[in-house]
Amino acid sequence: MSESLHQALDLSLFWEYRNVLLHGLAVNFYVFAASAILALLVGLGAALARVNRLWPLRALGTLYVEMFRNAPEYIMVVWVHFVLPLLLSYLIRSRLEFNPFASSVIGLGLVYSGYFAETFRAGIEAIPLAHVEAGRSLGMPEWLVFRRIVLPQVVRRMLPESVNQFISLFKATTIVSLIAVPDLMYDVTMITQQEMRPLPLYTGAALTYFVVVLAGSSALRALSERWRAKIYA
Amino acid sequence: MTAPTIKVVDLHKRFGPLEVLRGVSFEVRRGVVVSMIGASGSGKSTLLRCINHLETPTSGDVLIDGESLCFRNGVDGERKPRSLAEINRIRRNLGIVFQQFNLWPHMTVLGNVVEAPLRVRGLPRKQAMDVANACLARVHLAEKATQYPARLSGGQQQRVAIARALAMEPKVMLFDEPTSSLDPELTEEVLGVMRELARDGTTMIVVTHEIGFARDVSDRVMFLHNGLIEEEGPPEALFGAPKSERLRQFISKHLR
Amino acid sequence: MGNWQRLVWNQRDALLAGLVVTIKVCAIAFVIAVLVGLLLCLVRMYVRPLRLAAMLLIEFFRATPILVQLLWVNYVWPAVFGWPDSFFAAAWAALALQSSGYLAETFRGAIEGVAKGQREAGYSVGMSPVQVLWRIVLPQAALSSAPSIVNQFTVIVKSSTLVSVITVPDLMYQSQKIVNVWYEPIEILTATAALYIALVFVVSALGKLISDTLRRRYAISAV
Repeated sequence: MSESLHQALDLSLFWEYRNVLLHGLAVNFYVFAASAILALLVGLGAALARVNRLWPLRALGTLYVEMFRNAPEYIMVVWVHFVLPLLLSYLIRSRLEFNPFASSVIGLGLVYSGYFAETFRAGIEAIPLAHVEAGRSLGMPEWLVFRRIVLPQVVRRMLPESVNQFISLFKATTIVSLIAVPDLMYDVTMITQQEMRPLPLYTGAALTYFVVVLAGSSALRALSERWRAKIYA
Repeated sequence: MTAPTIKVVDLHKRFGPLEVLRGVSFEVRRGVVVSMIGASGSGKSTLLRCINHLETPTSGDVLIDGESLCFRNGVDGERKPRSLAEINRIRRNLGIVFQQFNLWPHMTVLGNVVEAPLRVRGLPRKQAMDVANACLARVHLAEKATQYPARLSGGQQQRVAIARALAMEPKVMLFDEPTSSLDPELTEEVLGVMRELARDGTTMIVVTHEIGFARDVSDRVMFLHNGLIEEEGPPEALFGAPKSERLRQFISKHLR
Repeated sequence: MGNWQRLVWNQRDALLAGLVVTIKVCAIAFVIAVLVGLLLCLVRMYVRPLRLAAMLLIEFFRATPILVQLLWVNYVWPAVFGWPDSFFAAAWAALALQSSGYLAETFRGAIEGVAKGQREAGYSVGMSPVQVLWRIVLPQAALSSAPSIVNQFTVIVKSSTLVSVITVPDLMYQSQKIVNVWYEPIEILTATAALYIALVFVVSALGKLISDTLRRRYAISAV
């Protein structure tokens, strides 16, 4: 066992390939950034639908959120990559194929839009009605009330929970390796097949994500705490 | 001459740089009702919590029926601080009712009251249940026995808390601002129970803002200021002819 | 497109077998996760010399993605520890590891969240610290963490889709096999996605029911 342990912890092989692997990690970040933006925008829209006055919008919003919040990320990405192009092909009557990067961003973005929608909705509903009424009674139009009174408070209130979602999303980007997007895990898998030495490579991958996620989440949390403290001090 | 039920000897308590109790001494005999009044920060809650050792005094001692709560005599005659187990044994003789009730939400009303007789005193189940039911009846809440605390009003919860403390048959009942968390309509039901307890001869130390209660029910009133007993005496003397200016101001502010 | 019967209904035996494997893996992982999470939490809180080690483990399990953990447990552990000895074991072990980190933190929040006054009430009637922990603190912590525990089960179910990567014949694996045979992904993948969504929905509805009951009956809020 100690021989294998020594092998596993001898990360020199991992270090050898660091250029390729670093590029893979960057791909994880690209996927993360793109799907985060998509998730935030669509999630906000879904949250607004869920708190809307009109019940059809509310129903639609709820349906959307329940569907995507409860969907496993992997199957959603696979579905978007293999099924969606075929469905769209029928509609526009020509062959369509999705680039795996796009499929991942859409798949992850949609799933996490469900989580963000719930987070935003909780935040919106937690805003005291009195604040909104104060704005209205000053003659503010609805959209201005939202932009200047509701949204800033929602963002501040929901920041800690959102940070958790972002960290989750970043970790989920490893899934893209399974549909041949060249992220860190994809590179590790390829190198393992070549070098036939899984121990240091998989251990190195685990340690890399550990460090990146730990550092990133600590930094994000510290930043968000300082920003929130300005109001909630 | 029997030892007083509670004797507080030169109690000091500091939290870091802040000295909250600066040397408080007094005695309470059996059957006596003592009220402690004073402004916030005067140290009255801290004093009560030192008496049942929820706070450890920085110096000084508390004697229950002559037995020291804080220290014991070591083999070599030295005084040593008591272990937690010994403190627990002695403070079973003190019942305390908190401002926040602190009922255990995962147990029913009866469960709350029967827990200590059953598991701390080790009474057989039937006897423990009888004690618990009797205490609940005494606070007029027998019909709520199977409910969970979440369903009760604040006044009802506080009365259950009183029953829970009574179930251990303590020598002294301590009350830490028992009605401060209650809406005004609900304070009377709790004060009523406390009046009955006093009439039945219970030894009580009550920290309170309710001047009316202090005046009508206590045998003795202590006015605390800045960690010391500023004035002390029977209610007629304290309220009728207050000696200190601070006490006069306090009374005029709080008397309804 | 109208091939639902051929591609989905006729394959229901294989799909059912996959679903059974999924449920087995998730159930075992869940139980192990709760036990390991509780152990990690108690060690972190009460065993001083091992505190740092426990904290590091908890952070490690929380920070590494599930796919990475799956591959790591499956390929590295057998060489170093001699176990797991099967893909199935590697699957539930990795899933359990991931959730145990989150549960350890959940339990810690729940235990610390039991108000100080609750403990004081216990001490005041003469209860020993052990009695207070066992009769007052842990029951309330268990109740307030119940919704989060159920939520972790949904996370386990969603993560279980990845065990197909280490060739565990779960629902995902079976449906991918069917796609590889018939080359027509639409019906089968949509049906599989719907099945997973339904499964997760049921579990999370259960979780919501639990937290509503908690609030109504005991006035205990979820941690």
